[in-house]
Amino acid sequence: MTAPGTTARPRPPARERRLPGDADMWVMILGDLFIFGCYFVTYMVFRAMSADEFTASQRHLDIDVGVVNTVVLLTSSLFAALAVLAVREGASRQAQRLLLATGACGVLFTLIKAYEWHAEISHGHTIHDEFYSFYFVLTGVHLVHLALGLLVLGVAGRELRNPRRRRPAIVEQCVLFWHMVDLLWVVIFALLYLMR
Amino acid sequence: MTDTDAAPADEGAEEFGEPKRAGKREVRLVYWAFTVFYTALSVGICLLGRATPPPRPDVTRAQAAAWLYQHHLGIQIGFVFLLVIAGGAAISNGIIGYFMKRMSSGKMLAYAYIATMGVGAVPGFQVLLVCWLTATFRPDRSPDILYLLYDLGMLSYNGSLGCFTAAYTVLAIAVFYDRNRIFPKWFGYVTVWQIVTEILASQMWVHHAGAFAWNGMITLYIAIAIFGLWVACLLVLLRKAAGRESAHTPALYEAEGAR
Repeated sequence: MTAPGTTARPRPPARERRLPGDADMWVMILGDLFIFGCYFVTYMVFRAMSADEFTASQRHLDIDVGVVNTVVLLTSSLFAALAVLAVREGASRQAQRLLLATGACGVLFTLIKAYEWHAEISHGHTIHDEFYSFYFVLTGVHLVHLALGLLVLGVAGRELRNPRRRRPAIVEQCVLFWHMVDLLWVVIFALLYLMR
Repeated sequence: MTDTDAAPADEGAEEFGEPKRAGKREVRLVYWAFTVFYTALSVGICLLGRATPPPRPDVTRAQAAAWLYQHHLGIQIGFVFLLVIAGGAAISNGIIGYFMKRMSSGKMLAYAYIATMGVGAVPGFQVLLVCWLTATFRPDRSPDILYLLYDLGMLSYNGSLGCFTAAYTVLAIAVFYDRNRIFPKWFGYVTVWQIVTEILASQMWVHHAGAFAWNGMITLYIAIAIFGLWVACLLVLLRKAAGRESAHTPALYEAEGAR
């Protein structure tokens, strides 16, 4: 409650204060983050039990590739956020182009990841090594999410192509999912590539 | 079971003096059959059969044979009981398929769900029962054979991912495309988590110990927690959907003749 005599800051209109996306998507995102959180804790516990072996295996990862992938995905999130702003302002064509750029970054991320997997397997780093079993599972499950994200971006693109629809809420939901994929990668990158 | 085509004729049924709530009663009966089957499955598999939580995958032949001998009575009672009531799996798939048929996403997905879950019940359920029952009813067989049955039962039970992945995918698609809101959209997302855990289960074929073995934290315990959540949500949603099955409530779907 505002105390008498103080200058009350006007509350923003309800439309500005609302949560982007719908409750269903937030169930997905929060639940997914919790499940991934369980995977991350499991990884850290196993890492703590065999810290030397994990560190030795981690040294074989190419950190530059990880950094490039992180930059690519962060850039994609920037495009996605700009797409939401564009669709809110009614600039559907611009939003479509931005979503296309987001998807292109996603495809680029996948190609880089495929190259990295190929390089690691070629060097004999497979799931028979405990660290690499975590590496392939965590990055693999993330890739599955990224593929779903591309599908979801397609849904948003289809929404924007139809002049009678173009609901900002749908685009917001799709972009929310994409941001989650991005956030998960940042944590995976920190755990697998940087944590020593 | 009340069919999709039959339900809209409830008003007509009243005119002919048929019980108004017959459809609802049937659905509720099958819902309780579903609940009882899953409870019996949990008791048979977990408490008596000891398949969940599972025995260790990194044991020797002698240890596997000793484990089977130690738990032979529970396995025999629990798994023979489950063999007898195995048809409950079909009823469970049936009621989900029934509500999927009421979705606007189309009947094909319902049939696909029923078919994939029906096929999945063989490796994911029956093979475990048959393997471990054979091992416990024929303890005089060679330790190598008992060892194989021990492994085969567990790997088939936990590692048979393809059919279930397809079933959950079909269910999620049906929920997302449904405009009748038979199940809420968030349940579609919970079903997506199930797909991910099924994909992860592939790891247990390779690992004998650790987080990805058949008793691993990721492949088993986190997956079971998600499965438990999925079943709990499903039970609540089916109960709600079954509660809406009445001649007095609006139809949950577009009638065939009105299309």
